[in-house]
Parts: sequence; C-alpha cells; structure tokens
Amino acid sequence: MILSLFDQFMSPTLLGVPLIGLALTLPWVLFFQPGARWLNNRLMTLQAMFMNWFVKQIFQPMSLGGHKWAALLMSLMLFLITLNMLGLLPYTFTPTTQLSLNMAFAVPLWLATVIIGMRNQPTHALGHLLPEGTPTALIPVLIVIETISLFIRPLALGVRLTANLTAGHLLIQLIATAAFVLFPMMPSIAILTSILLFLLTLLEIAVAMIQAYVFVLLLSLYLQENV
Amino acid sequence: MLSVGQLKTHHSFSVEFVISRCFAGFSRETSLRLCRRARRGRNKKQGARRSNNSASQPSVMLSRLIVVSVNSLKGCGPIGAGLVHASRSLHTSPQSLAPLPPLPEKGGKVRHGIFPEELFQLLYPKTGVTGPYMLGTGLILYMLSKEIYVINHETFAAASIGTAIIYGVKKFGPTVANLADKINEEKVAKAQEVKDVAISSLTQAIDDEKKEQWRVEGRSMLFDAKRNNVAMLLETNYRERLHMVTNEVKRRLDYQIALQNLHHRLEQEHMINWVEKNVISSITPQQEKESIAKCITDLKVLAKATQARAAA
Repeated sequence: MILSLFDQFMSPTLLGVPLIGLALTLPWVLFFQPGARWLNNRLMTLQAMFMNWFVKQIFQPMSLGGHKWAALLMSLMLFLITLNMLGLLPYTFTPTTQLSLNMAFAVPLWLATVIIGMRNQPTHALGHLLPEGTPTALIPVLIVIETISLFIRPLALGVRLTANLTAGHLLIQLIATAAFVLFPMMPSIAILTSILLFLLTLLEIAVAMIQAYVFVLLLSLYLQENV
Repeated sequence: MLSVGQLKTHHSFSVEFVISRCFAGFSRETSLRLCRRARRGRNKKQGARRSNNSASQPSVMLSRLIVVSVNSLKGCGPIGAGLVHASRSLHTSPQSLAPLPPLPEKGGKVRHGIFPEELFQLLYPKTGVTGPYMLGTGLILYMLSKEIYVINHETFAAASIGTAIIYGVKKFGPTVANLADKINEEKVAKAQEVKDVAISSLTQAIDDEKKEQWRVEGRSMLFDAKRNNVAMLLETNYRERLHMVTNEVKRRLDYQIALQNLHHRLEQEHMINWVEKNVISSITPQQEKESIAKCITDLKVLAKATQARAAA
C-alpha cells in the first residue's frame, strides 16, 4: 500500500481495537501521585511546583466563582502538554491532531462558560457583545460581529490546536523525508536539511507547549468573562 | 504470554507499583464498582487460572486482576480475601503503611541515560565489561540487516528529536535538579528552623531557670548579710542609747556636785563676811590710831633703810 503523508494522522487500530483509547490513557502513568510523604523526590517536587505555578498563573485574575474550574483546567493543561510532547517522539500518534478530539474539548467547555454567564448574569454576559466606546452608528453592525466572534470561539479553539499540531507534524515528516531522500544523492544538502529539521523540532517542542497553554488560557479568559 | 509473577522490572518503575499507586487514590464507590466488575469476571478468571493457559482467554480478563489495586479490594467481602491471596506474588515490599520507608535519595543507577546498571552487572560474569555493548551492537545490526527496523524519514526525525532531548537534559538537567533540591531544602530548612528556635528558646529557659535557682541559693547569704546589718544597727543603737544614758546620768551627778560646791562656797563667803564684819566692827578708833601711827613709823624706818641702801 502506498503511504501518503497524511497516514500518520490516521487513528490507529489494531485488530479492530481503537488504539486511540490507549494513546489517551497511557500518559496517565507518567504523572506521579503525591504520596503520603511530606518531603518528596525531585520529580514529585518539580511536578508539584509546576502545578502550583500554573494554577496561580491562570486563576489569579479570576474571581472566586471561577476557582471551581481549577482542577479541570489544570488537568486539561497537563493532558494537552503531555499528548503534544509525546507526539514529537518518532513513531508516535498524537491524539490532538484529530479535530474530533479538540472540538470535543473546545465546544463543551466553551458552551459551559457561555451558559454559566447567561444563567448567572445575563445582562453582563450580553454586555460583552458591545465593546465600550463604540460610535452609535456602528452599534448594530458591531453586535452582529461580536455575536459571530462569540460563536466562532469553539471552532477557533479546536481548529487552532489541530492545525498547529498537524502542520508541525506534517512539516517534520516532509523535511525528514527530504533529508532521507537527499542523503544518498547530495549529502551536503541533506546536512542542511537535517539542520533545518533540528531547528523545526525545537520549534515544534515550543509550539507543543505553547498551544496547550493557549488553549487553556483562552478557556480561562472566557470563564473570566462569564463567571 | 508473560505470567503474572514475572512482572518485576527495575525497582523504581515496576509496573504493578505504578499502576497500584495510580489506582490507590480511587474513592470507595469506584473501587466497589471495580469490585463488582471483578466479581462478574471472577468465574472466567478462575477458569483461566485453573486451565493455566491464558491464551484461550482474551488478555483483558487477566489484566483486570493486575490492574485492580489490593487496597481497594480488601473491603469487598469474600472475593477480597481470595484476590488478595492470589495476588500475593505481586507483593514485593512489606505491606504496612507506617512508618513509611524512606525514599531512595537518587533513582536507580543508569548508564547512558536509559540502561540500568543492573543489566551490566548481570552480564559482567559471563561476558565481561564489553558484553552489554556487544549485545546492543548486535541487536541493532540484526534489526537493521533483517529490516525489522527500516531506516526511513522517521529515523531522521528521531535523530533530531533525540539530539534535542539529550541536549536539553545535559544542559538543563543539573539546573533543574538543583532547583528541585533547593525547594526541598527550603522546606526542610523552614521546619528545621522552627525546631531550632523552639530548642534554643527552651534551652534559654532552662538556663534562666538554673540562674534563678542559683540566685535562690544565694538568697540565704543575702539574708545572713541582712541579718548582720540589722544586728549591727541594733548594736549601734544600743551603744548610742547607752552612751546617752551615761551622759545624762553624769549630767545629773555633775549638777548635784555643782550644787554642793555652790553651797560650800556660799557658806564660806558668808562666814568670811561675818568674820570680817565682826572684826571690823570690833576695831575701836583708838586701836585704829595706834595702828596707823605704827604703820607710819614702820614706813619711816623702811624709807631710811632704803635710802641707806641706795646711798651705799
């Protein structure tokens, strides 16, 4: 069978068993549970430090009602970062390249923030549809525009993550293929391509972390508006 | 098919430890749910164990035995004891939770970052120092030549991410480790400081108490000194009063003496005056003329004697 460049994004199955379940749950074993100890080893200390720092970062500007979301957003962040970073290893499958997964995260969470806003403080939530200081003539147009932007948010969230990761993986595969094919023919060009591949890998590591952070940050912002 | 007892791997990452730790945090409801599922699968499981050939059963059934933690099943009634007994081969450490054994200071020793040192020690008696390296080289060449591992574009991607990871670990590893150690050290130092402050304040209190006791011992000397002082004051006072009394008595007696002297003198003067008065009154004028004439003749004689002496 002829492999196309997009075959790396096919959801893997083995004998009819969808392995994406395994890909989604196995990262769980990588995180250490805080044991019954006061002083932990280095990994546990670093993990706890990271979680503390992250929760403080995200939830400092948030009012008290939004703090209920701390566990959800923290675990979402860890999940996304782990999936993204593990996907950079060779021969791995990144579940976050599937649009279905990312939309499954984005739409319910975004909808939850909107519904919370509409239920608890409907005027305030609707007030977000009109930015302050707009000239009177532009108000109808702006309301329509803001409503459209509100409904585009889940789409943007999901597609942003999917597109970034898919593009990154695709580029890695393309440039790696180029280096591989050029290697017997023109080794010097292959070396240049390999250098490009290395830089791209560094970029992809950064993108993996940044995209996960952006996803969670935007959700926290939407929550801040509405809580 | 790996039997359950052969699941031991490197001690810091043994699978059953990790999985049991993962599931140890389950709530009671979840563990009961797992328990019921385990109970439903019990007959099938017992069939698998008795037949001793789990190839006929799907592997997911046996994995349920491994995956469910001992702790969450203990309270599950009659099934719990059976499962605990059955999974005893998985127990590699004493079961008590307290006192917790101390965590090892560092992780297991590894060579080249991934290969545990135990592998090298295992192979050393038979193949010496280069044994594991020959094994590694042989395996890699075998996989390459038989095309079990095919070199393709992923190899290049693996090389580049491998370089990135190794570079990152080598460069930032010590920094991050020091950061983690520093956080732990600060935690310990804070607790230690509390302990030290408590100890020092208590030692200070002990010293103060001892000083107070020493002071109390000296108090008897203080009382003695004070007693001496008071005694001296009393003595002085007594002496003063004695002196005063003596003086007063002497004054009284002096007065009496002076009075007596006065009496004596008065009597004497009175007597003399009386005698003189009487004598003078007894002198007649005749006698007076005779005495005066006698005095004049005496004087003439004396004057003549003196003139004679002066002329001589």
